[in-house]
Amino acid sequence: MTLAPHRSSGSDTGTAGNAEPTVLSSGAVSRPDGPAAQPWVMGTAVAVAVAGAALGFNGVLRGWAWYSPVFSTVLSVAFSVAMLRSLRARTWLVSAGALVALIVALTFIFFRQHSIAGFIPSPETMIYLGKFLRRASETVLAESTPVAPNAGIVMLICAVLGLLVILIDALAFPLALPATSGLGILAILVVPAMVKPQSVGVLGFVGAAVGYLLILGCSHWFTPDARTLADTARNPGQLRRGAVTAVAALTVTLLLQPVIPGFDQGTFPQGSRLNPFGSATGLNPMISLGNSLRSPSGEGRITFATNAPTTPYLRSVTVDSFDGDSWSPDDRESTRQPGTGRIESGLDSAPTELRVITAVNTGQYTSPYLPAPYAPEAVNGLTGRWNWDPATLSIKGVDTNSRDQQYVVTSVTPQLTAALLAGASEPVRGIPEQFLRQPSNVPEVVSSTAKTVTAGAASPYARAMAIQRYLRSTEFSYSLQSPVQGGYDGNGLSVLADFLNQKSGYCIHFASAMAVMARLEGIPSRIAVGYAPGRPTGATVAVSGQGPLPEFEVDARDAHAWPELYFQGVGWVAFEPTPSRGVVPAYATDAASSSGASTNERNDALTPGDGSRQAPVPAPGTVPLPGAGTPAPGDAQGAQALYGVGAMLLLALLVASPRLVRSGVRRRRLRTAARGYPGATGTALPAWAELRDLATDYGVAPQASETPRHFSERLRASAALGEPGGADGPGQRAAAALTEDFERERYGRPGGAAGPAQNADSADPAGSAAARIALVQAALRANARPLVRLRAAWLPPSVMSGWRRALPAPRRFLSRTAQLSRTAQLSRTALGTRRGLAESWGKFRNSVRRVRRG
Amino acid sequence: MDYHRSSVDDILPDGQRLPGRPGMDLNAAGDRSSAPAMDADAFHSASTRILTSINTVIDGKAEAAKLALTVLLAQGHLLLEDVPGVGKTLLAKTLARTIDCSVSRIQFTPDLLPSDVTGVSIYNQATRTFEFRHGAVFANIVIGDEINRASAKTQSALLECMEEHQVTVDGTSYRLDEPFMVVATQNPIEMEGTYPLPEAQRDRFMARISMGYPDRESEMEMLETHQASSPLARVTAVVTAAEVAAMIATVQQVYVSRSLKEYTVALGRATRESGLLRLGASPRSMLQLLRAAKATAALEGRDFVLPDDVVSVAEAVLAHRIILDRKAASAGETPQSVIRAIIAKIPVTPEVTASPNGTGRPGRKQASAMAAAPSPKLPNPR
Repeated sequence: MTLAPHRSSGSDTGTAGNAEPTVLSSGAVSRPDGPAAQPWVMGTAVAVAVAGAALGFNGVLRGWAWYSPVFSTVLSVAFSVAMLRSLRARTWLVSAGALVALIVALTFIFFRQHSIAGFIPSPETMIYLGKFLRRASETVLAESTPVAPNAGIVMLICAVLGLLVILIDALAFPLALPATSGLGILAILVVPAMVKPQSVGVLGFVGAAVGYLLILGCSHWFTPDARTLADTARNPGQLRRGAVTAVAALTVTLLLQPVIPGFDQGTFPQGSRLNPFGSATGLNPMISLGNSLRSPSGEGRITFATNAPTTPYLRSVTVDSFDGDSWSPDDRESTRQPGTGRIESGLDSAPTELRVITAVNTGQYTSPYLPAPYAPEAVNGLTGRWNWDPATLSIKGVDTNSRDQQYVVTSVTPQLTAALLAGASEPVRGIPEQFLRQPSNVPEVVSSTAKTVTAGAASPYARAMAIQRYLRSTEFSYSLQSPVQGGYDGNGLSVLADFLNQKSGYCIHFASAMAVMARLEGIPSRIAVGYAPGRPTGATVAVSGQGPLPEFEVDARDAHAWPELYFQGVGWVAFEPTPSRGVVPAYATDAASSSGASTNERNDALTPGDGSRQAPVPAPGTVPLPGAGTPAPGDAQGAQALYGVGAMLLLALLVASPRLVRSGVRRRRLRTAARGYPGATGTALPAWAELRDLATDYGVAPQASETPRHFSERLRASAALGEPGGADGPGQRAAAALTEDFERERYGRPGGAAGPAQNADSADPAGSAAARIALVQAALRANARPLVRLRAAWLPPSVMSGWRRALPAPRRFLSRTAQLSRTAQLSRTALGTRRGLAESWGKFRNSVRRVRRG
Repeated sequence: MDYHRSSVDDILPDGQRLPGRPGMDLNAAGDRSSAPAMDADAFHSASTRILTSINTVIDGKAEAAKLALTVLLAQGHLLLEDVPGVGKTLLAKTLARTIDCSVSRIQFTPDLLPSDVTGVSIYNQATRTFEFRHGAVFANIVIGDEINRASAKTQSALLECMEEHQVTVDGTSYRLDEPFMVVATQNPIEMEGTYPLPEAQRDRFMARISMGYPDRESEMEMLETHQASSPLARVTAVVTAAEVAAMIATVQQVYVSRSLKEYTVALGRATRESGLLRLGASPRSMLQLLRAAKATAALEGRDFVLPDDVVSVAEAVLAHRIILDRKAASAGETPQSVIRAIIAKIPVTPEVTASPNGTGRPGRKQASAMAAAPSPKLPNPR
């Protein structure tokens, strides 16, 4: 009965609020642009931030076609939020509305054909949604960056970005934590930072930074303080200060970057890829290889024990298609054979074979491909399902990966000699076409170089040797840095052209150069990716049936790529065109006399006996990898310690953050109080706010309906501030003076604000707001129990009150729906559950409060 | 016919006879606030003198005395409501005598006529003209005893004077003296054969005070000191009417900040929206609340109003104007308790504090009212 008139009167006050000539409504009218423009401006800022950060996805996704759906999704969500907010909808309604807008937008963009009216999801939409999600997860798991922008992955990105818009908006608006919204933007940037070899990229970084600054600026512009001190918060000095701060922050970012571990090389943000998990964990070995080599610490350590006379290369995958912008392994899922118990190595006519047993422990190395010596015949001891490719003998996990695998590989090594190879001059037969196909659009420099180099060589073997000799000549230098600086860090035909011009690069460049040139010369070729022979650890491992075998180790810095060429009647033969890396096989050395049986350490002595070669190649074991501060292998522990220290620092920062926030707020207030706003006399306001927060911290929280004087009296009368007469006299007097100043400023005659009390005190330093606050704080500290003191210092309730305010929101929502359902005569059970939920939430909140107080 | 102007002679001691009827309509024709304001020290000493003087007569009622003075300085009228014998009339008389001004007292009875209050035109045989004979209302302070015993017609005659500060008889208007204050008393117990003041007329009184019984010590002291003679006899005027006018002018110049006005308005609106009240506070009462707060601030020695001033007079100013909902009344609520609850709910400085819902959880009825009211459409404190 009583509800109806109340409701109507309530809505009256709401709608007619502007029409009534009351003091309140005139106050609202005096800022006509404020509440109307604010949601739109803020919505634009959030949209700019998210869309800007999304620019960083270029490179994770190929091309720019994916950007228009992303952009329209972000825009529609942001503006629906703005619209709801400008209609003054409730907080939860805004978020719910934005979610609905996101769903509608996604449906319209991706499922227009399979929905009701083009934008309402139907059961059919759900089916397609499942398909899209499966496609997206396949893309994430199987493909290497940059991936083709298929609908699944683009839809996923759109959905995630839309949700982030809602999150960022919620952080910046109802929770009033605009600075924290940076977390949401950071979440976007993390993806390209970890997946892309070039990290975020300048475009994404600048977009995100501009958007974030916009959010901060807008939220400051519309802050309640700016409302009360209208002419002071919006002066040009503010803009200048803001610009100076932004520039300073950017400078610090650039200077700080070389110091932080994890950011590897180059200038932030270009090339400074975040590598939290170490290397060799990428899905595309081709992409991650350069970063593996450049990693300062040896992550992804693999140990293996072998009875082979020479330390074998561990091979995980091959690349055979040289078309396209970026090369990646072709998995050929259709022809893969399940099971690894028996692998047909397909060595058709190896003259003499050497059977080798290798026991491998992969440890933390994570990859879908299994490293194994070539050519594996059987792999035992694996967990999970694996299959192998008859064409390349690469072993790949079906539902598992190489992490924490211990297995024994039986492999056969053909005993090859230069003479045998030189004799293999018949044209190739029975080789899959993909190993022979000449790539289209071969750059001129590649084909001409191939022609020049191989001129005069008759047999395929001679041509191959000519190419290798050319690449190992002094014209070429091994460098991990120059491809990055020259902008051809990666793979592909254009990269190859750059490499041949610059004559500087690392294994991937040498290997691909040889493979492509060999193919141009008609020799079937592929690039094998894996590890160069490592170092002996000195330990021995007992392998069943073999006795103790010497153990070797490789890590990310041993990552390697080399070409494999096919010779009719011999099979696939590995070459080593990269100078100073790996071991040149005996059959591939020019003299063909020196033994190829060597370890990595002795590589120096085994460099090709090319007479023209004067400069000695330094031993790889002692060659420091180029790049700043490349540690010796023993420094892995040091780097780990560094990470540990970083984590500890981060933890300490987290623990101290309420304290830091609190002291930051206090410093700012006292500074404002000391200086005063330009053009205003408001010095007592921040000091008063500080007094309130101080009292809150020590358990005397001000009530909203309390007058300043009453609060001050209550504070002074409470045990928190001690006895009026005794040792706490100064604190008492300081609190009283702060109150008086605040009252005078807020309620007193403007202009005449400088009362006699202020004038009298301005002379002595004890009269300043900072000194008074310090006095009050000292008195509070002196009278507080140790536990309260600790809480005030580390978990100040005035800072935590933001959380407290957010805590009852779900209960309010639940009880409101319960009430609505009662009026709507909903079923009793639904009402009961909602009420129960509301009650249990209330209980939970109370217990949280109790814990906090206790 | 119990009204007697001679009571002035009773109240004033010998030799203190006022210099004729001051000003009458002629003098008061000027502005109500024509007197110059006085400085803070003079104001303080004058107010202290008045209060000390009153407190020597009435023991243990400093609060009531201060409120009475507040009403006088805020140019309002005072309604004293309490059981017989607690000193209502004594307070009114004492206040009147401490100020050197004209005083009249009207004892209201059912047969009192309006002309007894306002005055009447009488035909003068000698001059053959009608002469206006002033009624009891022509005085600076008018004490109306037991106002609820008079007929409605007489009551409204007085109430018109209170509002207009003038008397109209036979088409001629006569200004009343400044300062002009009506102190009416009312007995809430014995209501038989009375004419209770309707709401509209109660609204004209700025404040209502219940005297209450004195505490033990005060009562003991009263028995001790007041045995022999009436304490009134010792009271002399401590301020002149001109000084009071200057004090009133000072009060008028007290500064009221915008945020304080907002607070006052929020209080008033809350009484109108409260589910416990059938009738909330009128806009006029808001004006009077602010005036009383200004006088309080001046008495505290401040030249600006604090929310504390509003809170301290809110009960006295608002409680007699609002009407409780029947259910709330049967639930044991009183107007005073409702106003206290509203004060405890309204945020004082919305810019500084967080949310109005933060402190007390409103009752269920209010909660439903609040749920129905679109609170987001109100100016957002954030």
